[in-house]
Amino acid sequence: MKLLIVEDDRSLSRSINDYLKLEGHICEIALKLSEAIEKASVSKYDCIILDIGLPDGNGLDLIREMKANKLTGGILILSAKSSLDDKLTGLNMGADDYLTKPFHFAELSARINSIYRRNNFLGLNEITFNEIRINTEDNQVYVNEKLLVLTKKEYDLLLFFMANRNRIITKESIVEHLWGDNVILTDSFDFVYTHVKNLRKKIVSAEGRNYIKCIYGFGYKFIDT
Amino acid sequence: MNLLTKSTFYYLLLSLVVMIAGGALLYLTIKKVIYKQVDKSLITEKTIIEDQIKQTDTIPDFEATFGHQIEVKLVNYRLHSYQSIKDTDIYDPESDSFIPFRYIFYSGNTVEKKGFIINIFQTISEKNELLKDIGIYMFFLFFSLLLISILINYLVARRLWSPFYESVKIAGKYDIQSDSPLNLPETDINEFNQLNEVFNNMTRKMRNDYLNLKEFGENASHEIQTPLAVIRSKTELLMQQRNLNKESINLVKSINEATARLFKLNQGLLLISKIENQVFHEKRTVSLKGIAEKGLENYKEIMGLKNISVEMDIKNEALVEMNEVLADVLISNLLSNAVRFNFDGGFIKCHIDDTFLILTNSGVPMKTNPEDLFKRFHKNSENPQSVGLGLSIVRKITESYGMIISYSCHETIHELRLKYR
Repeated sequence: MKLLIVEDDRSLSRSINDYLKLEGHICEIALKLSEAIEKASVSKYDCIILDIGLPDGNGLDLIREMKANKLTGGILILSAKSSLDDKLTGLNMGADDYLTKPFHFAELSARINSIYRRNNFLGLNEITFNEIRINTEDNQVYVNEKLLVLTKKEYDLLLFFMANRNRIITKESIVEHLWGDNVILTDSFDFVYTHVKNLRKKIVSAEGRNYIKCIYGFGYKFIDT
Repeated sequence: MNLLTKSTFYYLLLSLVVMIAGGALLYLTIKKVIYKQVDKSLITEKTIIEDQIKQTDTIPDFEATFGHQIEVKLVNYRLHSYQSIKDTDIYDPESDSFIPFRYIFYSGNTVEKKGFIINIFQTISEKNELLKDIGIYMFFLFFSLLLISILINYLVARRLWSPFYESVKIAGKYDIQSDSPLNLPETDINEFNQLNEVFNNMTRKMRNDYLNLKEFGENASHEIQTPLAVIRSKTELLMQQRNLNKESINLVKSINEATARLFKLNQGLLLISKIENQVFHEKRTVSLKGIAEKGLENYKEIMGLKNISVEMDIKNEALVEMNEVLADVLISNLLSNAVRFNFDGGFIKCHIDDTFLILTNSGVPMKTNPEDLFKRFHKNSENPQSVGLGLSIVRKITESYGMIISYSCHETIHELRLKYR
């Protein structure tokens, strides 16, 4: 995937760049709005990660510019302002998703993948990974072509892992992904553990391989063995 | 008592005092004048009679005219020369009543050293009638004067104070969050202009402070969130490195945990300050029942894992006018507490009727004072990782919508009672 990171904080844009490169994406960084508009009009990006508060203008202007010039590509708004107004304005203008700072990389990655899937219809409502096949349209999971019955949270968890293969996913990011960040659940790490355990058990019992590894101190990793 | 009534009341009181005193004075003066005249005529008559007696030594022949009675007596000895004028009542058999008279008593001596006494009576009942009539007219005159002046005073005062009431009305309706500053209209009265000016300036300052605070809140959120995002992103990148030893892992783990905590703290405090600043002012009709059901659905699996049974006792949709986000935060915070502090095999009961939403759950008995639960940064010893903002956010939300939340605990049964209407 080709991505454009529009973020004025050098350190943060660098980190996003580094992480997404690990995922195998091609990234470019724009530190200013003018730079971003220039880049977006020259080449096509699969997804633009867009900060709203930029030194030379509002990030929403880029969306306006893109829509005016009929430029395609997913847009993920990244903002420190979690106010509902900004979120609604952004989504109404045509952004695909909205993520509040600070975010987990695993979450960012999952959102980018989901935007990409939505914007590219052909054959991409299916994720296939070795013996596991996920149909994202009717939310069904098949292991060795056999239907795997998962609860909603287990399904979400599997998709989350799929979007972050071979990366360490922290327990915090799983909690936020599954239950949202409005809620302050502290002992929910136990529940993460149980959900992961159940998901692993279900895949293994359907004669799938055990891909989920527990990483001491951090969380989990979905490893392509 | 409002100003208009009060000023009218004082005016009435003062006018009454002045009018009663003035009326009495006038009455007494008129009475004195009338009496003086009566007395003068009595003395004149007496002098005529006296002169006649002195000259002729005989009692002149009088005809007692109506209302006049003259008695003259001659004695053969000398008398003290004495004169007095007095009031008296004389019985009148015709009308069977006493009639008021003024009479002069005079005793003197003739040239022949004979004494004589003159008594002249003059009725003053007509004069009294006159006096009474004057009194009545005066009363009516004063009374109508009083009424008219009170009315005029009232109308004038109402007109004078109308810009004041107008200003009060405008100021009372003013919302500090509105787009324009308070602008009280100019009047033709200097004092009210001064007052309006003071009000205008005061609210302008308050509004500026409010806007600054709001701006500060937004800036603080932005300024803190970005470095936090940097810390988190760097930590997560560090985690992805393969060659970390156990010591480094522990360090990264601690940083990650502290960052998560700081994030939650910042998020919670910002939420509270936003509620205080009424940033969430868009309202719509939301169903607490719907939100509660959605929230329970979100925890379904957690509750399943903890073997917590759920009982719903819904008698009302619980429709309230409030901000959707806040309603969601309110209910999910309550539910997450009910799940968190529950024990294995416990229960949660959600009861909604037309005034209350009552959440009952089993859990470890509380040792602290129930009221302290709603304070900021209240820490539960059972849960040291808790940030301690959940219930204070709940309280802030309920306060801003005039709802009442209370907590009670009976051994292992905990009850949160939300009076939403």
